[in-house]
Amino acid sequence: MKCIFRNKRVNAILSVVPGQESRFDDERSNYHLTEEKARRMKKMMGLDRHRVAPPGVCSSDLCVYGLQQLLNEGTLKKEEIGALLFVSQTPDYYLPPTSNVIQGRLGLGHDVICLDLNQGCAGFVIGLMQAFMLLDVMDAGKVVLLNGDTASKLVDKHNRVTYPLIGDAGSVTVIEHCAEENAVHLCLKMDGSRHRALIVPGGAFRMPSSPETLKLAEAEEGVVQSLEQIHMDGAAVFNFTLEDVPPQIEEVLSYSGNSRESIDYFLFHQPNQFILKQMADKMKIPQEKLPNNIVGIYGNSSSVSIPVNITHNCGKQLRNGALRVCLSGFGVGLTWGSMVMNLGPLATCRTVEYEAA
Amino acid sequence: MNRPEFYQRLAEILDVEEVKAEDTLKDFDEWDSLSVLSVLAMADSKYGIAIRAEEIRSVVTAADLAGLVEAKQK
Repeated sequence: MKCIFRNKRVNAILSVVPGQESRFDDERSNYHLTEEKARRMKKMMGLDRHRVAPPGVCSSDLCVYGLQQLLNEGTLKKEEIGALLFVSQTPDYYLPPTSNVIQGRLGLGHDVICLDLNQGCAGFVIGLMQAFMLLDVMDAGKVVLLNGDTASKLVDKHNRVTYPLIGDAGSVTVIEHCAEENAVHLCLKMDGSRHRALIVPGGAFRMPSSPETLKLAEAEEGVVQSLEQIHMDGAAVFNFTLEDVPPQIEEVLSYSGNSRESIDYFLFHQPNQFILKQMADKMKIPQEKLPNNIVGIYGNSSSVSIPVNITHNCGKQLRNGALRVCLSGFGVGLTWGSMVMNLGPLATCRTVEYEAA
Repeated sequence: MNRPEFYQRLAEILDVEEVKAEDTLKDFDEWDSLSVLSVLAMADSKYGIAIRAEEIRSVVTAADLAGLVEAKQK
């Protein structure tokens, strides 16, 4: 589906990462990796360190921390909030929706629309889409998009395939009306026939939680997982990314009347450095226009990886000026969505560290 | 396909001097999930094809792999 949105803009983006940093070199012994193999893996995937939330800290806590900062500093006022979107795969509860819980924690008014969206790697693009749609129909107010994921709680620390890559993070994005047309172009595709490529098979209602689903098994050396953790068909996801995403980037560039040259940055989801380099090469985009450093600094935080990419790599530029960017999220679903938009100048665009209250 | 060139690319991925047609891929120390990803990437960038994970699991020798790529190109 192709969509176009007008007279809307992003006003602020704040990313929140846990304060604790965990280093791949220190985790190596968990994976039974030889020094040589660890070196290859580190170099190829671009691993170095990542952020892991301490026990008891949920995605929502990271998001509330960020939202509270924006309220405290006056970037956003409580009474301006018309809707609260919470995009996550790690909610507080099965029910109620985490967005309602957050509304209550912050003491927001009863007129605020609260909505949870279960989305992963494409969750920032889909969250923006939902925010723009709400702005079109809401009587008043801004939309606050919260992206939060704590994938560390969905993988085992003895799993060398998943654990070294993941990171926990939350973000707050404020979306509002603007007088200028400021057209935003989106191309979005979904393929549920490939939904098993990235899946937590057990623990919900198709395969209810049981001692069996909780049992940790070592599929191969250094790959420990239970049925209630993330199972990834790495090769299938890799092929999907190289086959399906580049044509969509072409599509969104042409749909929005842009070329590779007219885009300042390609700010993509951050699965690992290897795949991002491959994508840049395939699409003939200079590596410096397509940042790939996030996985080695913070880890892949699912739907939060694009906001973290934006605040870490373009924070200063976006606080002071405007950029034309192409965002792209791709993964679980399978879902892939790419968006071309003008961003900035933003009221704030920065990364902060979470501190427990 | 230029097979010697293909074997040379495979040798680079496996970090060895040379790969021969009859070599069994599993016998290389570096034939693991990382090198499989590198092969998928090479198949895509150099030969314009996508190899499925299950296809690569059924391959035994370097020649089998070259044959798989050739078959896909047709």
